[in-house]
Amino acid sequence: MLKILDFFDYAKSESLWMAHFCTGCCSLEMAAAMGPRYDWERYGFLPTPTPRQADILVITGLVSKKILPALLRTYAQMPEPKYVLALGACSFDGGPYNDALSVIKNPTEILPADVFVAGCPPKPEAIIEGMEAIKSKMKNKEPSAASQGGLWKEIAF
Amino acid sequence: MKRILRLFDAFETEYVEPYKSSWIKAKLKRQDDLRAVAEALKEEGLRSLVTVSPTDFPDESRMEMNYFFEDLQTKRNCWLKCDIPRTPDQCRIDSLTPLFAGADWSEREAFSMFGVDFADHPDLRPIIVSQDFYGKAPFRKDFDWEAHEADTLNHLKTIVNDFEKEQQNSDANLDPDGSETVLNWGPTHPASGPIRLKVHCDGEEVIGIDPDIGYVWRALEHLVTQKDFIGAIVAVERLCFMDNINSMVGYCMAVEEIAEIQITPFAAWMRVLLGETARISSHMMGLGGFFNMMGLHTLAMWNMDVREFFLDFLESYSGARIATAAIEPGGVRYGLQSNMLDELQKALDKFDATKEDIRSIFVKNPTMKLRAGTLGILTTDMIEQYALCGPVARAGGVRTDIRLDEPYAAYSEVEMAYITQETGTAKDRFTQLFNELEQSVDIIKQAKKRIEAGIADGEFNPTKDHMVKVPKKLPKGEAISRVEWARGEVLMHLVTEEKAKSPYRLKMKAPSFNHTMMLDHLLRGQTLSDIPLVFGSLYICQGDLDR
Amino acid sequence: MELLFNIIVFPGLLYLLLWTVALFWFFRKFMAPLHKRVGPHFNGPAGSYQTLFDLSKLLSKESITPRHVNPYLFSLMPLLAVIIAALPTALIPWTPGITVVPSDYGLLGLVVLIGIEPFLLFLTGFGSHNKYAFLGGIRVLTQMISMETAFFLAALSPALLFGTLNLQTIVHTSGWVSFLVLLPGFTLYFIALLGLLEQPPFNIPDAEQEIVYGFYTEYSGTNYFLLKLAEFAEFMALFAGAATLFLGGYRGLFFDGYLWLFVKMLAIAVFMMILRASTPRITMRQMLRFSWRYLVPLSLLNTAWVLLAKIYFFGGAQ
Repeated sequence: MLKILDFFDYAKSESLWMAHFCTGCCSLEMAAAMGPRYDWERYGFLPTPTPRQADILVITGLVSKKILPALLRTYAQMPEPKYVLALGACSFDGGPYNDALSVIKNPTEILPADVFVAGCPPKPEAIIEGMEAIKSKMKNKEPSAASQGGLWKEIAF
Repeated sequence: MKRILRLFDAFETEYVEPYKSSWIKAKLKRQDDLRAVAEALKEEGLRSLVTVSPTDFPDESRMEMNYFFEDLQTKRNCWLKCDIPRTPDQCRIDSLTPLFAGADWSEREAFSMFGVDFADHPDLRPIIVSQDFYGKAPFRKDFDWEAHEADTLNHLKTIVNDFEKEQQNSDANLDPDGSETVLNWGPTHPASGPIRLKVHCDGEEVIGIDPDIGYVWRALEHLVTQKDFIGAIVAVERLCFMDNINSMVGYCMAVEEIAEIQITPFAAWMRVLLGETARISSHMMGLGGFFNMMGLHTLAMWNMDVREFFLDFLESYSGARIATAAIEPGGVRYGLQSNMLDELQKALDKFDATKEDIRSIFVKNPTMKLRAGTLGILTTDMIEQYALCGPVARAGGVRTDIRLDEPYAAYSEVEMAYITQETGTAKDRFTQLFNELEQSVDIIKQAKKRIEAGIADGEFNPTKDHMVKVPKKLPKGEAISRVEWARGEVLMHLVTEEKAKSPYRLKMKAPSFNHTMMLDHLLRGQTLSDIPLVFGSLYICQGDLDR
Repeated sequence: MELLFNIIVFPGLLYLLLWTVALFWFFRKFMAPLHKRVGPHFNGPAGSYQTLFDLSKLLSKESITPRHVNPYLFSLMPLLAVIIAALPTALIPWTPGITVVPSDYGLLGLVVLIGIEPFLLFLTGFGSHNKYAFLGGIRVLTQMISMETAFFLAALSPALLFGTLNLQTIVHTSGWVSFLVLLPGFTLYFIALLGLLEQPPFNIPDAEQEIVYGFYTEYSGTNYFLLKLAEFAEFMALFAGAATLFLGGYRGLFFDGYLWLFVKMLAIAVFMMILRASTPRITMRQMLRFSWRYLVPLSLLNTAWVLLAKIYFFGGAQ
């Protein structure tokens, strides 16, 4: 019985589908990662049209105030287990938009990310490596960061 | 041009003067004259009001309004200014929307950013800004950003509450027994990106569309004022990443004009070369996006394949695939090494190898023609009224291309012609993009040949000629620059103070803003299936839509 | 005992699961080179475990039942959809020996079971309490009504030609001449098949760019797995139906057997995928116009042609 459950856990970690939701510029490199040269489908990643079938939410770069509720809502709509990948400098501290005040500077304090990928924007290889890092996190049975804490639980959205 | 100059005789002006080759710059003494002047200009043929750009001068307690009128046919343009008081209750001016339909959103933007009230505007709601900025005029110099920032959690609550209220209202206003409904097309939608179209529809039929924009509002125009003149290119290039080079070119031209600097011919040619590369990489995405919207991803993938080679060139030149920051005031940032041009040659070969396949399978695709052949027609009249530009305008038969109208960089030496289509349907816009792709490749070949010849002659020194020094502090001045960006005309209006280290005001007029306005006109009475197609064919990028 | 084997192993549950995993993999792997990509690669030989992992993941993930929906309707429909979609496999002669339910009215059962499926998908969309899902459901229904007329008429042409509704007899009596006579019917059947399976250019009901994911929008985890299973079961039923009715089923050169049926089904799948890689989606209006102006009249003409051919080549009514 245990073996079967292990198999299912392994299957979950090997098949990460991404919610099709873009908040900023890094989605351009996401598109490149889906493209012929980098082709992330080799590793079993796919975009899904609706968050209901997704396993990871990708914060693609900057998060503006206006889109934050939509981001949190998308996260809430996803089924468990779900993980968050944060791309680019913007999702860490606002990056190049750190002085712009319409941008949330700490999106990952609100919705904690499991893996950060540095860059502005990160290269497609780096994005794929970040996804692989999420895979190994799942294989180690670590719970997702967002389920452990974060301000998102206190914000109504 | 003389007729436009003469036209101002009837009004009291502080000055009227020719500016650059195709502009008349004038400042009105009385703001009440504005409507009359605008009417006269419209009769003269300047039928497009490109944008409205207020500049705030709190020390002189005035708000300077800038209006940019263009005539897309004869290439005569007018830059009209007038002062209005800046106290919130008196900050009011006549709206030009009844005369120029395209002023609608520009005036709404000025209203939400600067608190300028426009009398007689049909629909003066805030645009772009999120709900917590409503009625606060964030771009005014005396707006306290820090104090506003301290209250973020409450602002989020405001945004959420407002959204919920709006949802309830939109449902309550509908007939409960009817089949009408309001769909939120985005921002969590596979095809939308960060934009929300409030689609009022009856079953499959669209009754009206109200775009809700501002989901990637980064306040770039405010951001540049926090940075020095070189640091500002980081913000400027993030107008939209797909074609970042040309927006930087536009900004740098404005800075160079104020600093009164001439760039070297080598740098000018490099700007052409890099600019066209970025245009290609953007058009590739645009072409792919158009077919993506019809559920066919093959073209996007094929284009992505070719695009990677052009990005390789940018990477070899600047070290970054997308955020190149390669253009700087005074020239281009890096010198050129010969192996970089080899990368470019690879990309050109790859393009030539796949071009015919794409043409025969996708440009001539019968199903695409069936769907897009009669959809989303933009007439010449609409294009002029709404000040549309770039490939979208050219697909409707309007001969406008800044590279030819007002040549910058080295475009005056490039051999090129206007490319236009006739009917202005969605299909024409697609074909237009493909033809422009070929044109860009042709320009790149010319530029590459010229640069290589120049280097061989010893005319260009590729490691030293790329930059001339620009002083860190600029004199007081004001300049506009126009460039043909991948999506159309970008107009940069730069204002500097005496001994300024950073821009005082930078207005970026970006094409998608005007193009998004057209969605409602094009889609009324069509079906839900046509929304993504028209949206894709207008070649909209949310980055330059919100800025 | 044999019945138990049929239900659980072949052509029942296990076969269906294997088919789903394999076809899902095949679709992705076949599509990838057309996109100049590689497709699933790292999990197993040529990425062949990938879809197994995908489907297992869906099976074991949380299934969300949204607020304000009728939970019974919402969760029952996917299960019902799988069962209905898998039932036609019982009627199809897989090998000379294996037909689970040999019947004189096999063809009738086949078309009715295939025809009822879209209605269940409509109910999934209807029960989702989501505007996009509802629109998707309505689109399924519209497409079903306009495509099924042509589908029924095309599927009945072998019955008219051979004078029987028994699928085994149809397979037995088919030959090269009958194949040529039925070629127009096969073409019409294939077009209608694209419509019923929601494949480009008729992928209107789950058009991602327009209505998110149609009736699938609210489904997650196990429920989505069941819907996916139903979709692939329907692929199987329609492909096997086409092979049985028009292409001679399990009969082939040198020997008769399941392999030939499989090859024929695969050929149809390949053809479908090539269309999918090169054809954009059309709109609802264009689909309706195409269906009622061209497809249905043509299938009526095809019926006439089959009757004429029967009189002249096959010696008239028996």
